[in-house]
Amino acid sequence: MSIVKAENVIYSYKRKDDETEETKPVSALAGVSLDASEGEFIAVLGHNGSGKSTFAKQLNALLVPDEGTVFIDGMDTKEDKYTLDIRKTAGMVFQNPDNQMVASVVEEEVGFGPENMGVPTEEIWERVERALSSVGMYAYRESNPSRLSGGQKQRIAIAGILAMEPKCIVLDEPTAMLDPKGRIDVLEVLHKMNKEQGVTIIFITHNMEEVTGADRIFVMDKGKIVMNGTPREVFSKVEELRDLKLDVPKVTKLAHELKKRGVILPDGILTSDELAEALKHYQNTPV
Amino acid sequence: MFKDITLGQYYKTDSVIHMLDPRVKLAGTLIYIITLFLGKSFFMFIPAAVFLVSMIILSKVPVSYVLRGIKPIIPLIIISSVFNLILTPGNVLVGFWIINITSEGIYMAVFMIVRLLLLITGASILTLTTTPTKLTDGMEMGLRFLKVFKVPVHEIAMMMSIALRFIPILVEETDKIKKAQMARGADFESGNIFKRAKAMIPLLVPLFVSAFRRAGDLAMAMEARCYHGSEGRTRMKPLIYARRDYIAYAIVLGYLGLMIVMAVFGV
Repeated sequence: MSIVKAENVIYSYKRKDDETEETKPVSALAGVSLDASEGEFIAVLGHNGSGKSTFAKQLNALLVPDEGTVFIDGMDTKEDKYTLDIRKTAGMVFQNPDNQMVASVVEEEVGFGPENMGVPTEEIWERVERALSSVGMYAYRESNPSRLSGGQKQRIAIAGILAMEPKCIVLDEPTAMLDPKGRIDVLEVLHKMNKEQGVTIIFITHNMEEVTGADRIFVMDKGKIVMNGTPREVFSKVEELRDLKLDVPKVTKLAHELKKRGVILPDGILTSDELAEALKHYQNTPV
Repeated sequence: MFKDITLGQYYKTDSVIHMLDPRVKLAGTLIYIITLFLGKSFFMFIPAAVFLVSMIILSKVPVSYVLRGIKPIIPLIIISSVFNLILTPGNVLVGFWIINITSEGIYMAVFMIVRLLLLITGASILTLTTTPTKLTDGMEMGLRFLKVFKVPVHEIAMMMSIALRFIPILVEETDKIKKAQMARGADFESGNIFKRAKAMIPLLVPLFVSAFRRAGDLAMAMEARCYHGSEGRTRMKPLIYARRDYIAYAIVLGYLGLMIVMAVFGV
């Protein structure tokens, strides 16, 4: 069953011109269709200004489409009566961990969502404990979030969403402000949640290296989905991605360059192990 | 320069005062402050001082730490006592030009100093023994009756706790902007007071811009987490009175009674 279903979503921001005082629309989404089944790990890629963040906000009913529809677990985001249920179903993590925290104690921060949902007190504590353990931050439950590192803060933000027990989590560039260690930690947590708890993940980023483990990748440009498929399918189109000002993972690029110079390799190599294996194979093939 | 801003300077110990419900402490502090204004003689300060000292001892907060709270209000104390000294009419002791120092003036000045010292120390005991979160929680719960008069109690408490949460972030940000401006030749340390105040503008403008941006981000993140005001909201840490809280209420009321009796009989 599809948990997220976007059909031809069109959306534009209204921007006021400073001189003429006229408001004119600036198109952000020009017909985006995306379908995610329960338990999938979906990555949405795009460079700055491709409309990927605007699209993320559509999934949480923070913005509603001008035309087209977004269904979250069968609920139309345009209907006000579903807004709270949609936000319970599709949780959202933002880019800057500092700007999304409400409380000065970690456990209270994680409990904020359940409190808003009206969960009984004892159950809030259970949920907070579970959420903090599954992101590996239980030991910090009484700390002040402002004393933690970026990666730790972002894991707490994820725990805050997990405690709401959503079916789907939308993450809008959650790793953009983190150091490499923080990135790896956050990605690990996401994959673990996806595998163990079957939470659907919609991961929005511009960093290619982070999406090789996704089930499917959607590439956005100028408010449209221009490519989609498994990481292998998408990353085998190195030249097309370059035209979209997007890079491929370093290993894939190396394999592509080798291939151009006459080394016979399969398309869409994603990890260094794969490349090593393919090269070994190539070496043993008599020319 | 912004490093020494501390709000709600909490001092952690395991005392009974720390464990009290914040509503008791808020009510107790309020009653204590009111009693300081009940009487007109020094005798009234004796039970107040005894009450205050026993609270300090019970709270296990080091006395030096408590007294540190007085430092920032020393200018205020000096100004008020100078005015009391020279502006109180009565029996002139020393007089020159238009300034007359009266015996009543000396009495009033000392009286005001003692009153202010007791007041500030008492209030700082509240913030030293209560975390900011508990304080806002206590205010929200304790002032809930104001909802009848359409006062948005929950929203005010939420704003206060968010403000407290963002103080360290904004302090850090100020430091960052300041260093960035200094790297490009801005001078914050020299010149007279007007020059220095003017130098703050390139610091404050970006700080305000970023604070507004953060506020927008936070509002969106709160909405995304189903925040919709106090309606239908449960609490992770609800405030529930324990036996010690009722005992504390009894003690505070006993103290209030004693002070009222003293005031009525004009001791």
